[in-house]
Amino acid sequence: MYYLGVDLGSLSCDAVLLDHDGGVLASSVVLTGARNREAIAKATDAVLRLAGITEDQIRATVSTGYGRDRVEKRLAAVTEITCHARGIKSLFGGAQILIDIGGQDSKAVRLDPNGQVIDFAMNDKCAAGTGRFLEAMARALQVDIEELADLDLGASGNVTLSSMCTVFAESEVVSLIADGVEVREIVSGLNRAIASRIVALVRRVAPMSNGLSIAMSGGVAHNSGVVRALSQAFETAISVPPKPDTVGALGAALIAREKYARQS
Amino acid sequence: MMLQYFQRLASVTEARISKYPHQPNARKKFALEIAKLGIRLYSGEHRVAWCGVVAPFDVLSAMNVTSCFVEFVGAMLASTGTVGMFLEESEHAGFAADTCGYHRAVLGAAMKGMMPVPDIMIATTCPCSGGLAAMENLARTFKKELFVLDVPSSDTSESVRYLADQYKNMMRFVSDRIGGSIDEDRLRESIVKSNRARELMIEVYRLAQHVPSPANGQSLANFGIVMALFLGTDAGIEIAQAYKDEYEEMIRNGKSGVPDEKIRLLWLQNRIQFKHPLIRLLEEEYQAAIVIDELNDITWDAIDPDDPFTSIARRTITTPLNGKISQRLDHIQRLSKLYKVDGAVNPCHWGCRQGTGARGLIQAGLKEVGVPVVNLEVDCVDTRNFAEGQLRTRLEAFMEMLRSNPTAHGA
Ligand code: SF4
Repeated sequence: MYYLGVDLGSLSCDAVLLDHDGGVLASSVVLTGARNREAIAKATDAVLRLAGITEDQIRATVSTGYGRDRVEKRLAAVTEITCHARGIKSLFGGAQILIDIGGQDSKAVRLDPNGQVIDFAMNDKCAAGTGRFLEAMARALQVDIEELADLDLGASGNVTLSSMCTVFAESEVVSLIADGVEVREIVSGLNRAIASRIVALVRRVAPMSNGLSIAMSGGVAHNSGVVRALSQAFETAISVPPKPDTVGALGAALIAREKYARQS
Repeated sequence: MMLQYFQRLASVTEARISKYPHQPNARKKFALEIAKLGIRLYSGEHRVAWCGVVAPFDVLSAMNVTSCFVEFVGAMLASTGTVGMFLEESEHAGFAADTCGYHRAVLGAAMKGMMPVPDIMIATTCPCSGGLAAMENLARTFKKELFVLDVPSSDTSESVRYLADQYKNMMRFVSDRIGGSIDEDRLRESIVKSNRARELMIEVYRLAQHVPSPANGQSLANFGIVMALFLGTDAGIEIAQAYKDEYEEMIRNGKSGVPDEKIRLLWLQNRIQFKHPLIRLLEEEYQAAIVIDELNDITWDAIDPDDPFTSIARRTITTPLNGKISQRLDHIQRLSKLYKVDGAVNPCHWGCRQGTGARGLIQAGLKEVGVPVVNLEVDCVDTRNFAEGQLRTRLEAFMEMLRSNPTAHGA
């Protein structure tokens, strides 16, 4: 018996397949693109292929992400807040704060000792500091998004960005380049700007975050520069799983397994 | 356009009521009176006063003036789905797009000639300075003199006297413009009707506290704030009576507003005024009922017919959104306990400093009484800013949190 979690996000569609005991058999990440159904099929086919099973062997599917209602054959649709919390709990049992930065929004989630959501905050209607923001900045810097991760290394941290609006920040980056400012200083400035927004978001759910254990999920967690800036801002290490972008799908698959067990 | 809209609303609602003449039809009667008010405002046959939100509408009705707060027009335009063009009109004229949509809509409507030129204009400094600025703008557009009721923030005897004196001046201001003197008997009659509506509304709110509640997500939407327009009239009494009858009948028959009610919610400040799927989502997917709105409360004593202005001044000063945030917090904490709510929804209406300035304090204050809050960050008027996916995620995650952890604290 197998359980599937599908996370249809704005940038990527992720799937995680679990076996009977809740062990991860396979995971996949594909670009969402313009056709949601195709992305769902691709991500699902990929995990089925990797695990060597067929679709009819899946007992239950739970969908999540902004397109959660578009996943057919689902047992339930559950928000990404609940799914990321469930996923991170299975990876880092002691996590008390979860930071999830996805393609177009960011969230701070406060977890109780059982991994239940007891508080959450989302960014206010603006994609500043999210995956889309980083994409735009990479474009302005004329580098690949993956390259951004370590470009801040060795920076002195003397550049501060004055705007987090994606449009204004992009033109600010362009003019900093024109002024001859080193790329690593610009990237470090971007990372610190993102971190400062996230600190404000986390403060809304945990006014005193000192001493709390913080974990991170979502595609932006692949960017080690952002994670470094967050660690510095919170003065603590941030736990990042090896596949941070599939944490939501993992949570969804775990919930599928639990729901199926409760039903039968 | 607005006149035809209200006429159509009236005839459709009348037809619906006549289908089931023996039922209380509370919400339909409420809608019908709103339509009739709209017709009076727009027909050109009545004396009209455009006012601020907390003007004494029963006093104005005793003076034979059809009066209404201008934000009502913003809400109606939003509910008809036509608000976008009026918002654009005011934005093109230079009004900042991040100010309150109620005011931008009404200013745009006035510019497009969609607001009847009033006989009288009475602004109030409560609930917000934005409302006062909008009224000043409108007064210029209509070339009318503006009377301003300066509402003090605290309930002291000096404040009450200060406001009561202003009502007397306001009546002189009105009678100077419409001619004739003030009819004391009409005023007394109006006060008696306000008091009767008040008694019935207290009963309605008491019934809504029942577990499960006869109220669903929509039945008492905009009720308290709009009922102020019907105070002093038979219509106000009839509406409140219909709600009381309907809720009593539902409770007697073991019926609840939301079948199988599981989650009880408090809605803070204003509702989203245009059509949207979120309330139905709450009801159908989560069996969640909005059992109480912050503005649905009677915070005032019966009006003394022998000294009406003192009581009316106190009524205005004790309006939930007036004065210090600590008063507002006490009020919503009290409502949360009375209605046994599981959580609160704060729309944080875009552009409303009055409403959103206290977001953190409200969250902390409700946390003290064990009530988590979800902040929606929604523009309650401007359909162009409606991010349905984001809002659904916030609300659904909040529902999931309440369901899985009844002691959760916040969002
Ligand atoms: S929503 Fe806020 S800004 Fe708009 S009218 Fe009401 S109190 Fe004033």
